[in-house]
Amino acid sequence: MTSASMAGSGRIRLRWATRRRPGTFLVLLIATVLVMMPFLWMLSIAFKPEAEVFTDVPQILPADPTFENFATAWTSGNVGRAMINSTIVAGVAVLVNCTFAVLAGYAFAKLPFRGGTLVFLLMISTAMVPVAVTLIPLFLMTKGFPLVGGNDLLGQGGTGLLDSLGAVVLPHLIAPLNIFLARQYFLGLDDDLGEAARIDGANELTTFWRIYVPLARPLVAVVAIFSFTAVWDDFLWPLVVTSSLEAETVQLALSKFLTGGNVMYGPAMAGAVLVVLPVVAVFIFNQRSFIAGLSEGGVKG
Amino acid sequence: MLFVAPAAGYIGIFHLFPVLYGLYLSLTTYSPLDRGGPELVGFDNYAGLLNDADFHASVRVTVQFVAEVLPFAVAFALGLALLANRSTRGIGLFRAGLFLPRIVPLAAVSLVWLWLYSPDGWFNHVLGQVGLEPRTWLLDEGSALHAVAGMRIWKALGGNMVLFLAGLQAIPRALYEAATMDGANAWQRFRYVTLPGLRPVTTYVVILNIVYLAQSFAEIFILTGGGPLRSTTTTNFLIYEEAFQNNRFGTASAMAFVLFALIFVFSFMVLRRMGRNP
Amino acid sequence: MRTMSCQPWLAALTAASVLVLAGCGTGGGSADTGAGTHDAESNDGGSLTVWFPGNNPDEIELVTDKLVPRFESMHDADVEVTFVPWEDVSTRLNTGFAGGTAPDVFGHGPAAAAGLVEADRLEPLDEFVETMDPADLDDLASFLVGGQVDGTQYMIPLGGEGRLIAYRKDLFAAAGLDPDGPPASWTDAYDAAVQLTDDDTAGLILQTGSIQRVQSFMGLLGSEGGQLLSEDGTEVAWTSDAGVRALEYFVGLHQGDSPVSDLLGADFANQPAAQNPLATGAAAMVMVTSGQAVQIARARPELAEQIALIEPMSGAADAVMFGGPGPGLFMSKDSDNKELAWAFMEFMLSAEVAESYAEVTGQIPVRASAVDGDYVASEPLIASFIEAGSQFVASPNVPAWVEVRNLLDKHLERALHGEVSPRQALDDAAAEAGPLLAGE
Repeated sequence: MTSASMAGSGRIRLRWATRRRPGTFLVLLIATVLVMMPFLWMLSIAFKPEAEVFTDVPQILPADPTFENFATAWTSGNVGRAMINSTIVAGVAVLVNCTFAVLAGYAFAKLPFRGGTLVFLLMISTAMVPVAVTLIPLFLMTKGFPLVGGNDLLGQGGTGLLDSLGAVVLPHLIAPLNIFLARQYFLGLDDDLGEAARIDGANELTTFWRIYVPLARPLVAVVAIFSFTAVWDDFLWPLVVTSSLEAETVQLALSKFLTGGNVMYGPAMAGAVLVVLPVVAVFIFNQRSFIAGLSEGGVKG
Repeated sequence: MLFVAPAAGYIGIFHLFPVLYGLYLSLTTYSPLDRGGPELVGFDNYAGLLNDADFHASVRVTVQFVAEVLPFAVAFALGLALLANRSTRGIGLFRAGLFLPRIVPLAAVSLVWLWLYSPDGWFNHVLGQVGLEPRTWLLDEGSALHAVAGMRIWKALGGNMVLFLAGLQAIPRALYEAATMDGANAWQRFRYVTLPGLRPVTTYVVILNIVYLAQSFAEIFILTGGGPLRSTTTTNFLIYEEAFQNNRFGTASAMAFVLFALIFVFSFMVLRRMGRNP
Repeated sequence: MRTMSCQPWLAALTAASVLVLAGCGTGGGSADTGAGTHDAESNDGGSLTVWFPGNNPDEIELVTDKLVPRFESMHDADVEVTFVPWEDVSTRLNTGFAGGTAPDVFGHGPAAAAGLVEADRLEPLDEFVETMDPADLDDLASFLVGGQVDGTQYMIPLGGEGRLIAYRKDLFAAAGLDPDGPPASWTDAYDAAVQLTDDDTAGLILQTGSIQRVQSFMGLLGSEGGQLLSEDGTEVAWTSDAGVRALEYFVGLHQGDSPVSDLLGADFANQPAAQNPLATGAAAMVMVTSGQAVQIARARPELAEQIALIEPMSGAADAVMFGGPGPGLFMSKDSDNKELAWAFMEFMLSAEVAESYAEVTGQIPVRASAVDGDYVASEPLIASFIEAGSQFVASPNVPAWVEVRNLLDKHLERALHGEVSPRQALDDAAAEAGPLLAGE
C-alpha cells in the first residue's frame, strides 16, 4: 500500500466525516468536562470571596459571587499593561517562528543537504539543556546587545536590551522544537507534489510557497499556538531581564498573588482567567481557520 | 541551505552559544556572586557526580516521572485527537476545552491543583463520597510523585492532542476512501492508514514530551518543593538548587550535561526507531 | 536564479523582524528614558535602584505609591523600585551580579548575609550607622545586631520575625485544660497535646515545611541548652545530647506510641490564613510566625477571643524560640551613590515608615518604641512577639549557612518520617556539613 497508489484510486467522496455521531459526541463531552474540571474550579474560585475558597464541602457555585477579585487583579496586579506587553512579544515570536522555523523545517525534510542531519541534531539538542545553565550567558548577551540601550557597536557602555520587550522575546524568536515539528510535518507530506511543481519549472521558493504552505496550514496553526504560549507562559526569563512595571509580562503580574507566604486564591484565579481568555480566543480563531479549514482546501493528488 | 540559514544563525548565536558556554562552566568552579569568575577544574565536577547519592536519586525520580507521564500523555492525547477529528456538534468548543490546560499558566494551574490535592480539597471530597479515606496526596512520599504526574498528564494532553490533530489532517482523505473501498474495517483503517500516517508526528510528540518532562521543574517547585523525603526532587530541580541556592554553577552545569546526555540518547533512540519512513 | 529570487524576500523578512525587535527594544527603552527625563529636572540628588523581596500587593502599594515618592521629594532623587518574588531573589541577584546590573540596595534574608560578605558584594555599613542619632540606635539595638557579620553591620532589618506557639482557648477548655494557663515547658505541652488530640484535632503542630523544620528544631535545641554550631561557627554542635533530646521530642510528636501532630511537611505559609489548622480547629496548638498570627486574627475575627500565644517554653534549659531580624536591606559594594543608598536605608528605618511597613507585612516592628504605637495597639498578638524578643535565637551568620541549613533540613526530614533515628540523622547531617563549615 503505497500512498501514491491509494491517492490515485480514491476519487469518491464519502460523507463519513460529516455524519452525526451521538457516541462521539457523548465521549467528547465527558472527556471535555473531566479535563475542564480543574479549570471550572479555577473559574469558581475567581468569583468567590476569600472566605468561601475553603469550605467543608467544596461548592462549585459561589454562594455570594463577586467581581472584586477581577478588580484586584486588574488594578493592583498591573494585568492590563502586562497583557499588552505579552501580546506584543508573543506576536513577534509567532511571526518569526511561523516564517523561519517552518522554512527551516521544510528544508530539513524536503531539501536534504550535506551535513543537514548534523545541523538539525545540533539545533534540536539545544532544547535539551536545562535553562539554569544557559540563563547567565544569555543574560550577558542581552546586556551586551549592540546599538541599543546605550550600547555601542561592540555592546559596551549601556544595558543593551535589558528591561525591554526585546529582551523578553530574544530567546523565543525561533524555537528549535518548532523546526523539528515542521520537519516532521513535511516528512509526512508527499514528495511527488513538489517534484511535479519542479518539473513544471517552479523554483524552490515557489514550490514551498505554492505547493507546501497551503498544505501546511495546520502546522502553521500549531507553531503559532505553541510560539504564543511559550512566550505567554514564560516566567523565569522575563523575571531576570525586566525590572520595571512598564516591561512586565503576564506571568510576572500573576505571580504577585501566588508568592509563598502571601497566597491570594481569589485574585490569583481571577488574574489567571483574564490571562487565559485571549489565548483561548487565539486558539478558537486558529483552529477554525486552519485546522478545520484544511478539509475545505482538500488534498489535490 | 539558504532556507535554513536564518534559523541556523539565530539558534547558533542565541541557543547553541549559551549551551557551549554552559559546557565550559561545567569544567570550572563558578559562583556568579564571586568576583573571581570561573576557574578551570577539568572533569572534577563530573567525577564528583559518580558518588553523589542525591544526584543518582534525582535521576531515578526523573526517569520514573517521565515513565509515568509519557504513555498516558501520548495515548490519551491520540485517543482524544481521533475523536476530536470527527465532525460533531460543537467540535470547536470541545477542541478548545480539551486544549485549555495547555494554555492555562502553569503557576496558576499548580495553585488550583494544590487546592484540589489539599486535605479539604475536591479529590478528598470525591473520595469521601465513594466511602474512601481521605489522603494527604502531596505530603506522603508514596503518592506525591504520582500526584504531580497526574497534574502533568492533564497539562500535557491538550498540546499533544493538537499535534495529533494536525497530523491527522495531513493524512490525505483519499487514503481512507481507498481503504474503505478495499473493504477495510475501522480498526484496519486505523492500523494501516492512520498510524503510519501519524508516524512523523508521533515521533515528534514522544521526543517533545521526553524533552519537556525530563526538565520538569515549575510544577514541582510549586506543588511539593522536591519533597517529601526528596521523593519528587527531579534532576532539573536539583540543578536549580545547586545553581541558585548553593551558587555552584560548575556542578550544576555538569549535572545539566549528564541530564542532557540522557535526554539526547533517549530521544535519538526514539528518532531512530520511529523516525524512519516505512 | 533560484537563490537570487528568494534572497530579497528573506532579507526583507530579516530586516522586518530586526526592526520589530529594535522597535521593542527602543520602545521599552524610551519609556524608561521618558521617565528619566521627566525626573531629570528634579533629581539632583541622583538616582537609585532598589530591589525589594516579596510581592505582597499591599506592601508594593505602600512602598511604590507612598514611601518612595516621599523619599524622592525629600532628596530630589529618582528611585526605581522592583519587587522580586522571594523564590527568585537569589536567581536575580546571581544574574545581576554576573552582569554588573545589581541594584544599589536590595532586600534579602539575614541567612544570606555572611555568604554575600564572603563574596565581597556588600558595603559595610558601620560608618553610616555611626552617624545615626544614639537614641535611634538604642531604639533599634535588638534587631540591628542580627544584621551583623563578625561584628560589622551589613544589613538593615525591615522587620523582625519570630515563632511562637499559638493555642485555642476553647479547645483547651473542651479538653478539660485551663484555657488561661497554657503549658510552660515542652514536656507540659506534650502532655497537654495528648489530652487535646482526637480524631479531628491534632494536639500540637510545629512547622515542618521545608527549611521550617530547621527553625522549629532550633527552638527545641536552644531550650534543651544546645547550639547548632560551635562559637566560632566552624564546627557542628548539633550532635550534642541536647540536640538528640530536642530531635527525639520533635520526632515523638509525629511518630511513636501517641503522636499528637499531623500534616507532616505541610507549609502553612502557602495557604490562606483562614486555612491554618489553628483557624479551622484542626489543631489546638500550632507554631506560627508573627505574620501568620496577625493574618489568622484578621481572617477570623470571630476567633480573636479564642486565640492566644504561649510564651517560649523551657526544656532542660531556659526557653528559646527561633526568631530575630526578618528580611532587610543590603547595600551593594558596587553602588556608585552610596550616600543616597544609605539615606534610603535610614529612611526605611525612621519611626513612622518602619511602623507602617511592619503593619502591612505583619512583622515585628524593628523599633522597641513601637510597642506604644498604633500598630501594636491594634494587633495585641504582636505585643506577645515583642515581649518574647529577648528569647529569640537567630540563624548563625556563617558563609556556608544556607547550604548547611538545607543539608540539616534534609536529614531532619528523614528523622521526622521515622526513616532513621534522631541520632543517626544528626550525625549524617554533621558528616555532610562539617567540610562546608570548615571552609573546604
